[in-house]
Amino acid sequence: MIDIKGTLVSEGQGGVYNERMLGNYRVWDPYRSKLAALWYLDKTTTLDKDAVVLYLGAANGTTVSHVADYVESVYAVEFAPRPMEDLLVVSKKRKNIIPIYADATRPVLYASLLEPADLLYQDVAQPNQAGIAVKHLPFLKSGGRLILMLKTRSVDIRKSSDEVFADTCAELTAGGYVVEKTTWLNPYHQDHAAIVCRKP
Amino acid sequence: MYWYGEIGNLSIEPAVCEAQVRNTKTIPSVLCNWQDLKAAGLIKTREEYIQAVRAVTFSLAEKGIAVDLDKKDAALLQMVKTLDEMDNVINLLTERVIDWHAATTPGTSHKYTRSNGPRIVQKIAKSGSPSLKRVAREILSLSAVRTDLMKEVSREAVLVIPNMSALVGGLVAARLIARAGGLEATARLPGSSIQVIGAESALFSHIRTGSSSPKHGIIFQHRRVHNAGKEVRGKVARQLAAKLAIASRLDLYRGELDAEFVETANAKIDKIFGGES
Repeated sequence: MIDIKGTLVSEGQGGVYNERMLGNYRVWDPYRSKLAALWYLDKTTTLDKDAVVLYLGAANGTTVSHVADYVESVYAVEFAPRPMEDLLVVSKKRKNIIPIYADATRPVLYASLLEPADLLYQDVAQPNQAGIAVKHLPFLKSGGRLILMLKTRSVDIRKSSDEVFADTCAELTAGGYVVEKTTWLNPYHQDHAAIVCRKP
Repeated sequence: MYWYGEIGNLSIEPAVCEAQVRNTKTIPSVLCNWQDLKAAGLIKTREEYIQAVRAVTFSLAEKGIAVDLDKKDAALLQMVKTLDEMDNVINLLTERVIDWHAATTPGTSHKYTRSNGPRIVQKIAKSGSPSLKRVAREILSLSAVRTDLMKEVSREAVLVIPNMSALVGGLVAARLIARAGGLEATARLPGSSIQVIGAESALFSHIRTGSSSPKHGIIFQHRRVHNAGKEVRGKVARQLAAKLAIASRLDLYRGELDAEFVETANAKIDKIFGGES
């Protein structure tokens, strides 16, 4: 990961979402992007140059654009039509993004498009976030990483964040992941936890 | 099956590939391998592979978005949201203009400012300082636009969601589906959820702290709910919501008015409204 005097940046053409530039580098804001927040809290977060990334919940493609600056190719899955239109615009300029318009709860609809991934990045505001991650286990290479951005509020409003968090970790372990590290994203994002897992 | 077909029968022709993606029924045990296409001589480099797969996903995405945004309720949703936004703006501006008027006109009684907002704005539009007058006139013309838009929403709702509109009127029906996130989303909701759409804060405080549950959300705006006697209001809301759930499914999957259903549903609701159970 590239940082300029402690500020996380990525190298690429700017003007995706009016992000700030430092020279030729695009500033990656931890308050906007959970992945950037994770890097600020845990500097071992890395994106490898030759990695294939499967990105679930691509939204408007802001974080996707930064990820694409670092890695080989990004398969970006998004479900809502309006954000998808923005994602297509972003993808037109960045030739290593493969935008997929589909529902991440039904991977069979786009399974025929995917290559084995080194990193599965998941940021979906859905109730069954662990279930979605488990469904995508076949798309990860052995030894590949999962970074799950858990929005505890989306899972169950009646349970506390800690309960939801514990349940999710248990479900991931039961589904075949090995939970390696967990980080709460305070102060950048409230009620969000990053769960890093590995496929054995 | 892969997007580029099976070994021995490979293709990067977008139309062929799209059909293959659509027809995939299972997750393959071994995923795509770009070397397959290279070995077959269809591409030379990884860049070309990505380019080919992008051509397919772009085309699928563009078609998919076009279909989803073309759903007939999309325009209605935007109209209702615009209408509710205009209500907000008009109310805020009215409040502000009345305060302004009171500040520049000594002797304005509190009672005066509390009475009918639109009528005061009409008065201010005739008297008042020049700039105040202009703002008041803007509010009046905005209100006129709002009234027209409201009529159009009702008209449109009768076409798009005929059964729901027949039960609660076009405006309330349109507000319901707008709040739920579309006709399809509404049709997937149980009646009990439709009953409390728009009363989310009361619902969550009920779930969290155990305060009494809300009896009605947006459907309170329908006359048979807000005019019902206190004892039967919850019952009316419950029955109405249950019938709305059925009506939304009729609207989504059939799309035309089912007069027989509407008649029996209305009779049942009227019966509860009248106090018989």
